[in-house]
Amino acid sequence: MSGSTDTITQKAPTGVEPSARGRESRSAAVLALARFEARELLLQIPVLAFLALYIGYVGWRLFIGGDGMDDFPILQEVDRATQSTSLLPAVVVFICANRAVLRSRRQSTDQQFDILPMEHWRRTVAHALSVLPLAAITALVVGFQFTWAALKPGAVGHGSAAELAAGPLTVLLAGVLGVLLARVIPVGFIAPPFVIGVFVLTSLVSAFTNGSHWVRWLGPVVTEEGADPFPSELLGRPAAWHALYLTGLVVLGLCAAVLVSGGRTRLVTSATALALAATAAGVAGQSPDVSGSVIAARTKASVSPQQEQTCVRHGRSTYCAFPEWTGRTADWAAAVDRIQSRAGGSAGGERLTVRQRIDARGGLESDAALPPSATPGHVTVGTRWGGNRLPEFAVGVASVLVAGNEQAAGRMCDARVVPIMWLALSTQPDPMQSLRDVRIDDSIEGLATALAPASPVSMSAQQTTVVRELLQKPHYSVAAKMKAHWTELTSSKTPTARAAELLGVPLSGKGTSADSGSGKCED
Amino acid sequence: MIATVTASGLSLRYGGTLALDEVSLRLGEGVTGLLGPNGAGKTTLLRVLATAVPADRGSFSVLGHDPGTTAGRLDVRRALGYLPQTPGFHQDFSAFEFVDYVAILKELTDRTARHREARRVLEAVGLSDVRGKRIKRLSGGMRQRVALAAALVGDPGFLVLDEPTVGLDPEQRMRFRELIAQAGEGRTVLLSTHQTEDVAMLCHRVIVMDAGRIRFEGTPAELTERAAGRVWSSAERDPSARAGWRTGTGAFRNVGDPPAGAHLLEPTLEDGYLLTLDARTEVAA
Repeated sequence: MSGSTDTITQKAPTGVEPSARGRESRSAAVLALARFEARELLLQIPVLAFLALYIGYVGWRLFIGGDGMDDFPILQEVDRATQSTSLLPAVVVFICANRAVLRSRRQSTDQQFDILPMEHWRRTVAHALSVLPLAAITALVVGFQFTWAALKPGAVGHGSAAELAAGPLTVLLAGVLGVLLARVIPVGFIAPPFVIGVFVLTSLVSAFTNGSHWVRWLGPVVTEEGADPFPSELLGRPAAWHALYLTGLVVLGLCAAVLVSGGRTRLVTSATALALAATAAGVAGQSPDVSGSVIAARTKASVSPQQEQTCVRHGRSTYCAFPEWTGRTADWAAAVDRIQSRAGGSAGGERLTVRQRIDARGGLESDAALPPSATPGHVTVGTRWGGNRLPEFAVGVASVLVAGNEQAAGRMCDARVVPIMWLALSTQPDPMQSLRDVRIDDSIEGLATALAPASPVSMSAQQTTVVRELLQKPHYSVAAKMKAHWTELTSSKTPTARAAELLGVPLSGKGTSADSGSGKCED
Repeated sequence: MIATVTASGLSLRYGGTLALDEVSLRLGEGVTGLLGPNGAGKTTLLRVLATAVPADRGSFSVLGHDPGTTAGRLDVRRALGYLPQTPGFHQDFSAFEFVDYVAILKELTDRTARHREARRVLEAVGLSDVRGKRIKRLSGGMRQRVALAAALVGDPGFLVLDEPTVGLDPEQRMRFRELIAQAGEGRTVLLSTHQTEDVAMLCHRVIVMDAGRIRFEGTPAELTERAAGRVWSSAERDPSARAGWRTGTGAFRNVGDPPAGAHLLEPTLEDGYLLTLDARTEVAA
């Protein structure tokens, strides 16, 4: 053994940039790893597939598959409608972030990498940060969805930044939880069964708690959809608290993952305490059910909407809308004018009051039907517009013009349905399609109920045949006969066969009691 | 010798086994071979020096850094390149991505410099042409070179190689020896191996371990010298020999204490190694 006497104290590496030394440089290293992992994550086939599915679905809804109501978006509904679709990227981010953390273990690089300068907890931070681009993509998609809707000429209402933040925050949370799961249970392929387990657990908890408010808001995404959107001030959704709750959970999840990875620094401990406080505050803020003041406001808007509304005159009629919908009265007026122009007798010049109504007493998810108004000349219009709501509104207007009020129209069982349906549907761009759209069974034959905002009307098979035949004729030829025989056509005593004869429609077959002019409805 | 790595009284027990028993050593620039039978404690010693596992007792320093403190351990890791016995790979990464990834974990933050470094080490191990190829498509020898390139990232002052030539064919082994020899220029390399040939061809110093203890520390010539006058040839296996085997000539090569008048042979490093281990090994020709 040869002896030696000297020991060198330092040997600097040669030929390369020195390794990170200061805190700033070490952070730069974490960011470099986050960039690398983000690129890897974005290039994962499942991520690409789910992103394509997500963006494709949103694009399809925006540009191809939407119904006509999408042309008249209500922004306080559009914002939260962005949330549920963000679960698609969230699920894949959870699984792939988990797999990315476990890559070293799976491919046995642990023994090499464990002795490299970047500690485990810093790598954990980098993995969590690598999810940010995917959350940013989600935010871009959400932003695009909302902006696209907001820029439409028919858009009304107000969006909420907190509601819009829920989707991206959910993706971020999913990624962080994927990282945390990998650090707590470092077992490959645990993420997919975990997702299924969470889904099953959520369903069970929801079932056992009857979907109670505070439990539902513990989930990342809370979409509450009902028949008619509410004015913004009646929503009562604790969206800001929920955003705080989600943000707290994201930071808490990250801190937990870092702590499990050995990063027990003062900064992490402080951040954990702050995140815990934010999460608790979020839970406390979002858990109470809808406040008494909101319930009172909902009741007021439901029972006496006139106290909340602004009314404007267009031509002969008056149009009353909740403040966020005042810009839509011109559309209603145009529809009313078209219908009245084809009506005979005094109906063509009747002064109507079109009032926007909602029933908000059952909450956001209520499907309660609006009771028909008994006030003569009063027409109900809902908060949605476009699509099927156009012919439905037209049926409502025509019903009042013919029957006098909505309640009477709802009880009607006679041939007056023929002029009502013709007036309503002949003014639509595609009358036959509109006939399908307003009928509950989407048919153009046989007995069915035709929808209107407050008072659906019943159509017998014979009446349907007459209406269908009339809609296939040029409207000016029918309009002349309609006006000429208006009094007889709008009499409850007129049988369907007589109405058909007056309007020049051949009719065969036996009618029912509703066709007889007796005023009795069919069984 | 100027010592760059020193260890004093390192001991480590795994369950009931004393894997390292009061190991003290001094390493200098160049390649030092670490020889020993299976279970001698070579890998354990390398893992301790690489800061992968802490010793129960004793201390060591690498390039003046004391791994006993958090900051010191970080400095040691920064100065270290480690090629484990069976390196793992991220199979879906290209060779370049894998080395780049290791460079990031070595906290080389400047992207341009890091990429330049990744290209440099891949070129140094002769993988420039395949750096964009996924690791799962590379041969075993190429993968081993990728692992060496990863160990060389950042130009570490202390390189720890644990049986890097295992499983390589002769041509690949020759190529690898060349790389290790190059790597030993200007840095401290500790090469654990079963191959005495590797030590004879590459190392300027050698350490022999057995049962967790260092049995020899010196130059390969000094290890060979241990067998001087203790290797002889005979027509039949000499029962007094500690080890003996029939050679290609048909005669027996015996190692041990030769009888008087024995036909002495020129000793090799392997002879010195066998005698150091003091083992009675019979190897069939």
